[in-house]
Amino acid sequence: MAGQGIWSGTISFSLVAIPVRLVKAIEPGRVSFHMLHSKDYARLSRKMFCPGEETMVPTDEIIRGYEIAPDKYILMTDEELESVSPERSRTIEIVEFIDMEEVDPVYYDHPYYLVPSKGGEKAYRLLVEVMRRTNRAGLAKFVLAEREYLVAVTPRDGALALTTLHYSEEIVPDEDLPPKKGKIAAEEQSRIKKSIEQMIEDFDPGKYANERRKKLMDLLATKAKEKALVEAPVVEEEEGEGPPDLVAALEESMRKVKSR
Amino acid sequence: MNRTFVEMAGKRLSLSNLEKDFYPSDGFTKAHVLEYYRRIAPFILPHLKDRALTLKRYPEGVGKGFFFEKRCPSHRPAWVKTAEIPQNDGERMTVCLVNDLETLIWAENLASVELHVPLARANSPETPDSMVFDLDPGDQAGILECARVAMIIRDLLSRMGLASYAKTSGKKGLHVYVPLNRKETTFEDTKTFSKAVAGIMQKHYPDLVTARMAKKERNAKVFINWSQNDASKTMICVYSLRAREKAIVSFPLEWMELEHPAGLGDPERLQVTHSEALIRADKKGDLFREVLVKEQKLPHL
Repeated sequence: MAGQGIWSGTISFSLVAIPVRLVKAIEPGRVSFHMLHSKDYARLSRKMFCPGEETMVPTDEIIRGYEIAPDKYILMTDEELESVSPERSRTIEIVEFIDMEEVDPVYYDHPYYLVPSKGGEKAYRLLVEVMRRTNRAGLAKFVLAEREYLVAVTPRDGALALTTLHYSEEIVPDEDLPPKKGKIAAEEQSRIKKSIEQMIEDFDPGKYANERRKKLMDLLATKAKEKALVEAPVVEEEEGEGPPDLVAALEESMRKVKSR
Repeated sequence: MNRTFVEMAGKRLSLSNLEKDFYPSDGFTKAHVLEYYRRIAPFILPHLKDRALTLKRYPEGVGKGFFFEKRCPSHRPAWVKTAEIPQNDGERMTVCLVNDLETLIWAENLASVELHVPLARANSPETPDSMVFDLDPGDQAGILECARVAMIIRDLLSRMGLASYAKTSGKKGLHVYVPLNRKETTFEDTKTFSKAVAGIMQKHYPDLVTARMAKKERNAKVFINWSQNDASKTMICVYSLRAREKAIVSFPLEWMELEHPAGLGDPERLQVTHSEALIRADKKGDLFREVLVKEQKLPHL
């Protein structure tokens, strides 16, 4: 099950450090399509267009601007951006242990698993067991792909699950969402309560499947069998000889090859 | 569906439809395909190792339609090694790594007759460990013209201090590999270098070579496809079967064999069949071994 992992390092708190790898807990079943030109089936590419000059813009002329007012920008260079990015880190440092019940599910972002790397199995099992018994989750900060995440590490089925959490400033305030209070008749309340009770089941996610995805995959399989395929044309890349030094050296070698 | 259960290295595999004719004109069944890969495994596995496999599956046999599968099927057994490959859209994709015989047989049971792999390993997807010249003949050219072009490229590169190795594509063409095996190499390097070589070849041998992709420009010429030197491209793995009429293999050749191909009379003699492949590999060892280990630096970049 566990692949190579998308990150490897150590999980640590106080004096314990356990080598681990981070692996995905979910694999989205999204079916993705490419955009093609209806006339020749060429795969379309995105180009940056400058409406000022009415021309395509090469990559080396593209810079970054933060819009501070309409049409007013603060420029930001790669170096400046890097200066505020967190340093790459090889540790998940648990800073506190919390009660996971206190965490509103709205904070949950993305689930992963931590699996032990070589040599870490014993300490890993110990940590899982202790966390399970104390029913606590470790709260940690963690840098992945230049972003700093707040994460909760919890025991799950003998393994450690890691869930990235949203920062509180990302959560939309909800005090305006509930409607103003009004009177509800007691009989109406008990009627609704009754119909809810009739529908109570144990949660079994296996009962539900992504029907659209299944139908879509069946349709694709049928069409592939019927060979309903189109082929993209071969597209020429730009001409150009290459670096002058290299071209000169190749010409010299070619002269020797031919004069043999 | 007919199923056969086998156990390999303690791993249980369920093999299906072994009697299905995979190469009908060759009398080559799915069982034959699996047997070929089992016997060629010591030679092909080092070349598949740690590379993101693209499965090219022919569920009904060759000539009956196929599909590519880059994502490692989610129904894979737990012991199949995988890697996460970043994609253009920033998402990551789980791919299969064929690092052992069991995984190879599992992939073949999925009717993945052709095995395609990138020029870089999965843990360093931006570092090609070889540069390749994919020689693809036009309609009125063939493997003999490719052999001529391959030898000129070999001589040209050798003048620049670079050793190269050739294999048949198993279709009509030849592939020339230049081992690099240095972590500093980028696809931009290999692309720039191979493109310059293709350009100079076209300039000096305009009747034999084209560096342009357009099919109509090929005719009797050999197209030097340098654009395969790209992180997103894959090449047919050396020793892989090809899905053509007969069970032909992409097989490494000695330069000597290419120097006197005319003596063979029939250019098809350069093609290596599955049975020949096993005999020759046993006798000569892996002629592509150097491609995996030889360290070379591309000069003048």
